[in-house]
Amino acid sequence: MQTDSKALKSPSELARLIEAIAAGQDRDAFVVLFDHFAPRIKGFLMRANTSSGLAEELAQDALLTVWRKASQFDRSRAGASAWVFTIARNLRIDVARREQRARLLDGQPDENLEQPAPPDAELLASELQQRVHSALEHLSTDQMRVVRLSFFEGKAHAEIATELELPLGTVKSRIRLAMNRLRELLGDMT
Amino acid sequence: MLADYAAGTLDEGRSLVIATHLALCRQCNDFVSALEAVGGQLLEQIEPAAMAEGAASQALSRLVQESAEPREASNKELGKPIIWQPEQDTLLGYDLGPWRWISPGLHYRAVKVPVGNETRVFMLKAVPGLKLPAHRHTGTELTCVLSGAFIHEGGRYAAGDCDDADQDDGHSPVIDEGEECVCLVAMQGNIKMTGMLGRLIQPFIRI
Repeated sequence: MQTDSKALKSPSELARLIEAIAAGQDRDAFVVLFDHFAPRIKGFLMRANTSSGLAEELAQDALLTVWRKASQFDRSRAGASAWVFTIARNLRIDVARREQRARLLDGQPDENLEQPAPPDAELLASELQQRVHSALEHLSTDQMRVVRLSFFEGKAHAEIATELELPLGTVKSRIRLAMNRLRELLGDMT
Repeated sequence: MLADYAAGTLDEGRSLVIATHLALCRQCNDFVSALEAVGGQLLEQIEPAAMAEGAASQALSRLVQESAEPREASNKELGKPIIWQPEQDTLLGYDLGPWRWISPGLHYRAVKVPVGNETRVFMLKAVPGLKLPAHRHTGTELTCVLSGAFIHEGGRYAAGDCDDADQDDGHSPVIDEGEECVCLVAMQGNIKMTGMLGRLIQPFIRI
């Protein structure tokens, strides 16, 4: 199982598996997706300081959400990994807000933020993925590092500065530069 | 800030303003999608953490109780979704308080974001031509125009536009002629009392 999860799967293969769930509730497809994504999501959450037990639980939830929402997946709008990323991200947001709310006394019903509107339909996800891939290669190691810390570990700029032993201003400008660079490389996709 | 939003690390109040903006701004929406694709790429590259023994079959057994949602036909049509109309009393799932009069031509309405400590979210409604008193912020103020337009030192902001006022940006907005202007605002820190706006809003936002 573990070797399987490390094997590279092509974006179109992953997309096909999600579509198989949507079309026929394909349980074999689910298991393949589970083995691919669950350990990654668990790794992703653990890097964001989630305990191993909770990360395990949330990775389960994320894959169940993939099953439930499979019919909403549209490969012309987003790549499989990007789509699963937004699911894991939203779960992490939910947990963070629930904890924060619990701390603020009342356990009100959860009103999650709507997912942002889907991107333009003509946008070809595969093209986007290629662009993202090559865009990431254009970032310097330093820029990539701050993007990672900010994305994966959800760190505030000040924390990143402490961790990398850099002045806050340097971190801020590095993130800004990385984002500008990405925006430049990814920007005009209509 | 769009990167923080895409990464899921932006606070709830500002996320709400950004989500509203994204629904109205195709360019930023595309950029966020691209950032989410970056997130997907990073997810692919991350070192996997092994799941517990039998996790997949455990998940499968949880699936027995439910079947996948039916494919939904609706919600697929393109075009700008209607985010806000005057008669609405919710915004993207958040309850809105009643409009309250603040000063001639200016109304205020709270947006009930449950986690409220660091960011306050509210709507402002102002009549055409109204000059808002000059004010400064000690934190940041993120504004998305829902209808109408305002003009300040930074330019003209019309429906869908977002203005991110940083610490120390002093500005004195004027509502553009022609149409009432409604804005959604997420504010961190306090408005400094350089004019009467802060003093007027103060009782409502518990500064």
